[in-house]
Amino acid sequence: MSVIGIPQTQIHRLPQSKYVDAIRWLPSVSPLQQSAIVAFFDTDADSPSLEVHSLDQESKALDLVSSWAPPSRISSLKSTHAFAVASTVSGSLHVFSATEAQDPSSAFRSEVSVAADGKGFHMGRINGVDLMDGGSNECVSVGEDGRVNLVRVLDGSYRKVFDGNGLVSYTAVKWASPTEFVTGGCGFGLQWWDLRRPGSAVAQFKGNLEKGRTSGIIHSIDVHPSRKHTCLAGGSAGTIFAWDLRYQQQPIILSGTGSDTAAQSLSESEVWEVQYDSYTKSSINNFSSSKLLPAMFCSEDGILGVIEQGEEPTELMAEPCAINSLDIDRQNPSEVICSLEWESIAIVSRP
Amino acid sequence: MPGLAPGDSAGGVPDSVNGTLVPYSSDSHVSAIYPLRHGLNPPISRVSVSWGRGNSLRVSVFRQPDSDPKSDGEVGGRVVEVTLGKSRDGEISDAQWRKIAYGSVSPFALLQSRKNSTASLSRMQLSPSPYHLEWWEYVMEYSKDISSLLGDPKTALAPLIEDPNEVFPKKVEEPSSLKAAWELMEMFYVDKLSQAWLPERLVDWLADYDSLISIDLPTVHSKLVEFQNQIVTLQVIEDDPRYWDLISSALAVGWLEIVVKLLRLHGSYRLDQLGRRETENGLVEAVAVLISKMPRMRPAIDAGKIGECFKAKPDFVKAWERWRAQITKLDSSAFWVQCDHRQTREGLKNMLQIMLGNVDVLCSSTCHWMELYISHFLYIRPFTAGLESMYSLAQKCIRLKHTSNPHKLMRLMIGILGENNEVVLAECSRGFGTWMVAHAIELLTAGSNEADILVHEEREDLGGISLEELHRLVYAQLLSSHLLTWQIAPIYLTSCMRQGMGLLEILLLKQPVQENQMLLKNLEICRLYELDGISSHLMEISGMYHWKHGRKGCAVFWLQQAHDEVRLSRIASQLFDSVGKSISGESFKQWEGLIELLGSEGQLAGGLNFLHKYRDFKKCLQHAESRKDADAARQAVESLMSLMRNASTPQRFWLPILYDAVKLLSWDEGPLINVSQTNLLLNKLQELSVARLRPDFVEPELPTQALNHVRYSLGTNLGRAILGEL
Repeated sequence: MSVIGIPQTQIHRLPQSKYVDAIRWLPSVSPLQQSAIVAFFDTDADSPSLEVHSLDQESKALDLVSSWAPPSRISSLKSTHAFAVASTVSGSLHVFSATEAQDPSSAFRSEVSVAADGKGFHMGRINGVDLMDGGSNECVSVGEDGRVNLVRVLDGSYRKVFDGNGLVSYTAVKWASPTEFVTGGCGFGLQWWDLRRPGSAVAQFKGNLEKGRTSGIIHSIDVHPSRKHTCLAGGSAGTIFAWDLRYQQQPIILSGTGSDTAAQSLSESEVWEVQYDSYTKSSINNFSSSKLLPAMFCSEDGILGVIEQGEEPTELMAEPCAINSLDIDRQNPSEVICSLEWESIAIVSRP
Repeated sequence: MPGLAPGDSAGGVPDSVNGTLVPYSSDSHVSAIYPLRHGLNPPISRVSVSWGRGNSLRVSVFRQPDSDPKSDGEVGGRVVEVTLGKSRDGEISDAQWRKIAYGSVSPFALLQSRKNSTASLSRMQLSPSPYHLEWWEYVMEYSKDISSLLGDPKTALAPLIEDPNEVFPKKVEEPSSLKAAWELMEMFYVDKLSQAWLPERLVDWLADYDSLISIDLPTVHSKLVEFQNQIVTLQVIEDDPRYWDLISSALAVGWLEIVVKLLRLHGSYRLDQLGRRETENGLVEAVAVLISKMPRMRPAIDAGKIGECFKAKPDFVKAWERWRAQITKLDSSAFWVQCDHRQTREGLKNMLQIMLGNVDVLCSSTCHWMELYISHFLYIRPFTAGLESMYSLAQKCIRLKHTSNPHKLMRLMIGILGENNEVVLAECSRGFGTWMVAHAIELLTAGSNEADILVHEEREDLGGISLEELHRLVYAQLLSSHLLTWQIAPIYLTSCMRQGMGLLEILLLKQPVQENQMLLKNLEICRLYELDGISSHLMEISGMYHWKHGRKGCAVFWLQQAHDEVRLSRIASQLFDSVGKSISGESFKQWEGLIELLGSEGQLAGGLNFLHKYRDFKKCLQHAESRKDADAARQAVESLMSLMRNASTPQRFWLPILYDAVKLLSWDEGPLINVSQTNLLLNKLQELSVARLRPDFVEPELPTQALNHVRYSLGTNLGRAILGEL
């Protein structure tokens, strides 16, 4: 579980002198170019910014391409093949064209914005947004106000899927198919929504993972495109588990205090993000459908690791400060970009 | 530390005239003007000012309340933050300071844990294993880690084509006085290996930081930089007196490679002049060769620098005498007479005097006392002597080159040479700030026992804490005042034995908890230091915050996490007010999430788990009604009975529940509720009728005849049930 197993992993740490609120890779427009979209918060000037940086392949130095000033701090950021979408703590949502963002000659601006008007859209912080590659071109957004909205990225019109009226708060969201998505919230709760059966969630999971122990909050959800019935969730107390719609009462716990003793947990603190890791080859080659695919996570106690069902977790990086988010490059999955608590960005290149 | 400075020269007696302890010059009262950009239209009716985080003021500006009802929805006020004294230290920006603060956490924590394990080893009276390093070696490792954070004054890579006129190597970044001060402390207190060649280390130190040591007067460095800019314009360089001046100055402070480079710019090297000035050129070259052969008492020398290194003192002494003999021989050579160029002759002779250690020439060639001091080490006494004699030599140099306004580095230097630990601490704090003093204490205590006693002694005047703890606490306060650095303050606070934990609790309680992410980071710190009381307190604060802002789900979650039964049951009664109206039909789905969160029986909910059962009852009832399903109806009866038996079911829901149950009482396919169950429900109804007489009873929103309707149905059902059981 140490770095010895993968000796050639290279880590580049890039100090920024601004707090990194969120970070994502952008799809490359040319094979020799890598770019990332970064949400910064400058505490000295008290101003947020959303910036696109190109990445030098050799030195891994960031080079600013374009910058845009959002109305408030960015709370969630996602990118797909065609778009980047960002939500703010004040409840607005902004969509950008991924290719235009990387073009220094075109003005970097929000193609479509949905403002927090205090009426129909969100009230207060949007906690999660998601957009699907090859999906319906609709962005789903969830907020602490308990609202779930769908925004058409082409014209910015939106419709309400659900209004929890503050009785619930959602903290994460992920599309599973063009008509289904999963949300997460307090108490390790997960909700499965199907747009064909509107009105309420079609399945709910109440996370009584740990008996008698304190509960927690879901911070991140991922669904693998080849296994749409299973969602992977990460949250408080080092918890990472998978919830299979076909066996709703039996979550598979990969990490956390409730996990079986065989699999040792790397972290006991907040798991800020989980993503399926297509780079790590599963130890079982014949793709048995019962086994979960490997996943990468980052945590408050500074661990970036890969976790797999029934295997010892692998530690890729251990930092003295929190790793707040991670993103695996979809085109080049050996590359991982992370934001660190101490105003820096780390790029992990696996051999 | 101005607070500890004596009042005046008369022995620290408080000034009885104006009653101040610290002399206070009135010209420091320059008022600063900070413009407020609140963007409100006048009239402004009220302004209130309070302290925000760190050194920022929070100014709330209010307009006249509702003076004009048609004021097109303009905001009534705004809060703006004003940061006072933005430029704290011109040399290091805020962002750089934060970077230093982040980077010094790990070395500091590592050193503390090593200190603890060493202390526990010695407590167990185990002899440290032979593989263990000496304590100063651990401190050295720490010092190197910290030093690398403070900037790296490495010279840039040599360009492919060297500019012959560029005598001065370019620095990648400007040297910082913070790093200079750190290196001084490391050199004198920690690095035991280099004690033998301390003079040479000081020579290197000056070469790196000569540009910093003087505030207003020129230094050799500043003169060289000035001259370099003019080199290109000079036709015959050796005719310029400044050329020879500078060569001597550079030689005096030991920048030999620059001296040799400058000498090679001499006109006699030019091919067209070589024939005519053969002797002159020979003399210049002879001096250059002598310089490059200078013996140095040091283990090694950096690439690009010149001199011959000797590790052992006897070898060095032999080489030194031989070198001096060569210089004397050259000095009395006959060739000088044949050298026609006066400036060259005098300049070279002057250089020989420097190398022979002529005090007067050294003094006239250097600008700052530190430069004169270094030249003494180079040419007069190249061996390490005790600090006492180094100090008296420094005093002598200061007398010769007095400056009225010494730089902070020089004040620190004098403190170190004078072996006055209190002065060193005070200078660290005054000149370099709280970060420096909190971290440099480790270097100071590695050096001497007296310093160790000084900083660890518990002081009555500081409320029983030691100087070390005081400085760590002050640094932690500084960290706490910033949004991004407060999270590392606990590392320093927990290393403070007496007041650290108390201050940590205060710090954690003061952090904003509005955002879940910040709250969770805060709770993580509580978990690390086992502060369970603080963490539940924070969760309660957060729960109430969410409740007030209408996020009921979040509020219930955090109050559940905090095991706060009292607040949960208080918000439960408020929650029930809205339940009665909305938990029917379509809006039922809104409650689903919250009810799921509350969980079922056994989990802590402060009376809220009634909602769970109520939801189950409603669900079964809906099923039974819509599908005419007897099983669902039987389940509904079970839910009904468990609701009515449970003491936690609020009384105000009894009638609505019973009214809902009328559908079950009048079930077509025979009675669903047996005799004893009906009796129980009748008893509840009786209790309710009595309760209605009390003044605080809340009448549910039901048809007026509801009660009678229920009573009639129960009676009918009782009859049917009795008949059925016969």
